[in-house]
Amino acid sequence: MPELKLDRITKHFKNKIAVDNVSLCLKNGVYGFLGANGAGKTTLLRMICGVLKPTAGEILCNGSSITKLDGDYRYMLGYLPQDFGYYPDFTARRYLEYLAACKAIPRELAKEKVQEMLCLTGLESDQRSKIKTFSGGMLRRLGIAQALLNDPEILILDEPTSGLDPKERIRFRNIISSLSKGRIIILSTHIVSDVEFIADEILLMKQGRIIEQGSIQEVTASVSGKVWEYLADPETALRLNDTFAVSNLKNEDNQVRLRLVSDTCPCEGALPVQPGLEDVYLYHFEEVSEHVEHLERRTL
Amino acid sequence: MTLYTKPKQYSNLREEHRSKYITPHPNHRPPDSLLEWRFPLDAQKKTQSLAVIRQEAACKSIRYYPTFLEHVWNQIRFQPITHWLLQGSLLLTAMLLALYLRRTSRGGPEMLTVCSVFIVFAGNICLSQIARLFSWHMAELEQTLYLNLRQMICIRMLEAGIANLIILVLFILIAGGVDTLGISVSLIYMAVPFLWSDILYLHMLSHLRSIFSGFRSFALGLLCGIISLLPVLWEPVYQPEYLIIWQILAALGTLLLIAEIAKLLEKINQGDTICVNE
Repeated sequence: MPELKLDRITKHFKNKIAVDNVSLCLKNGVYGFLGANGAGKTTLLRMICGVLKPTAGEILCNGSSITKLDGDYRYMLGYLPQDFGYYPDFTARRYLEYLAACKAIPRELAKEKVQEMLCLTGLESDQRSKIKTFSGGMLRRLGIAQALLNDPEILILDEPTSGLDPKERIRFRNIISSLSKGRIIILSTHIVSDVEFIADEILLMKQGRIIEQGSIQEVTASVSGKVWEYLADPETALRLNDTFAVSNLKNEDNQVRLRLVSDTCPCEGALPVQPGLEDVYLYHFEEVSEHVEHLERRTL
Repeated sequence: MTLYTKPKQYSNLREEHRSKYITPHPNHRPPDSLLEWRFPLDAQKKTQSLAVIRQEAACKSIRYYPTFLEHVWNQIRFQPITHWLLQGSLLLTAMLLALYLRRTSRGGPEMLTVCSVFIVFAGNICLSQIARLFSWHMAELEQTLYLNLRQMICIRMLEAGIANLIILVLFILIAGGVDTLGISVSLIYMAVPFLWSDILYLHMLSHLRSIFSGFRSFALGLLCGIISLLPVLWEPVYQPEYLIIWQILAALGTLLLIAEIAKLLEKINQGDTICVNE
């Protein structure tokens, strides 16, 4: 069973610090990296994959530096990049066969594995179609198929469910859950529900740092007493919506039920409720969300 | 007289020894209970142990290390058919043209220019297969494979080098009748445009990748071909007194080409440029 150790990893891009002194120890299980866009998730994953070189720090796999392990490390790696690459003139089968050859899978075994992955991802009927004719969801499924091709001990998936419809998303979650035994699976996403059901451990990233780490129970416990529910009239609801971070808003007859995230009681009559992962996300990334919202408004 | 006596079999010797020294007493016989005694076997434990062994065996994966030649072959077999068709048709055209020029006794500079232009095109087609590795966001993914991007580039450069060398040899054989020029001089005349166009191509690949795609790549290849046509406009450049300039250009070109390759590989190693999303 592999063990990945990140020892004070830092990455600078000119004047910007993308990842700041991150230390982690990953053993087998599903790890969900949550963070807003620009939090440094992708940069960190790229360093774990060996695509990017850290400015400082070291990544160790089973006690050896991944730079020294070189091919032996990549042999046990499966990676789905955020911007999934493909040759558009290749058919799905040929593309997987090409990657199988580059992943050092023997030719006979590669044929079996390619067929198995095509079935697993539901691309069997499209295996002879050129990739350029694929939809976004099909491309994502092809990406998942290529990442699983070598039965990797370390599986790194960057935004794996973007472009997938709910049915495909559930299917993907089930595939990942079934694979989680005896390997490290790192899932990076900003879609909370992707990791809520399958991750053994949640890692929250903000401005290049890990700000929270633990099981879902542990992470949600950190915002315990900071999530409130309140039934308000529409006018008050509007005012509260402007003042506090609202994780849910539901119309009930003439009133509005609000779920608010706040360090203190937002208003008289608000009741503390059990926090969920979305509340945790909102609690930590509220400022970022506001910034994004502001940018969106400006664009509009 | 027998000079050689067959050695006694080892088993015979053993029997002899046993009978001589360790023959048991005729009355000595171990009790039947002892002879029939066996270690007690726990069937349940045996099943459990076998299950653990089977489980461990199932977890073991047998590593497969492809040979270098297998890697080379894999890179060749997944190159698009259009690449081979283009290379083949280019080579055929060049050879036919060179043979025509030779038959019509128009050797000399014209022959050299034809060969130079075609070898530049052949080189650029080969290098376009390296540029292909960077296209459609494939570089990032390829860098994480067992055979990573750096190794793929080295293999494709090797393939390109061998292919171009074969073409060069064929051209030299055809252009063997280029007046009084020797093989080494013909080689320099043909190699200089080839080397410099490769430098230009690799420079574009490592420095201007964000604006380097599709038609630009094609345009660059065409430009290199046109540049290599220039000597034909000024024929004296093939005169012996200018040979030293060709030699300097060839030496400088070789050094620069090595530097460009090293720079490209180092950039891949750092990884920053691989992740440029274009």
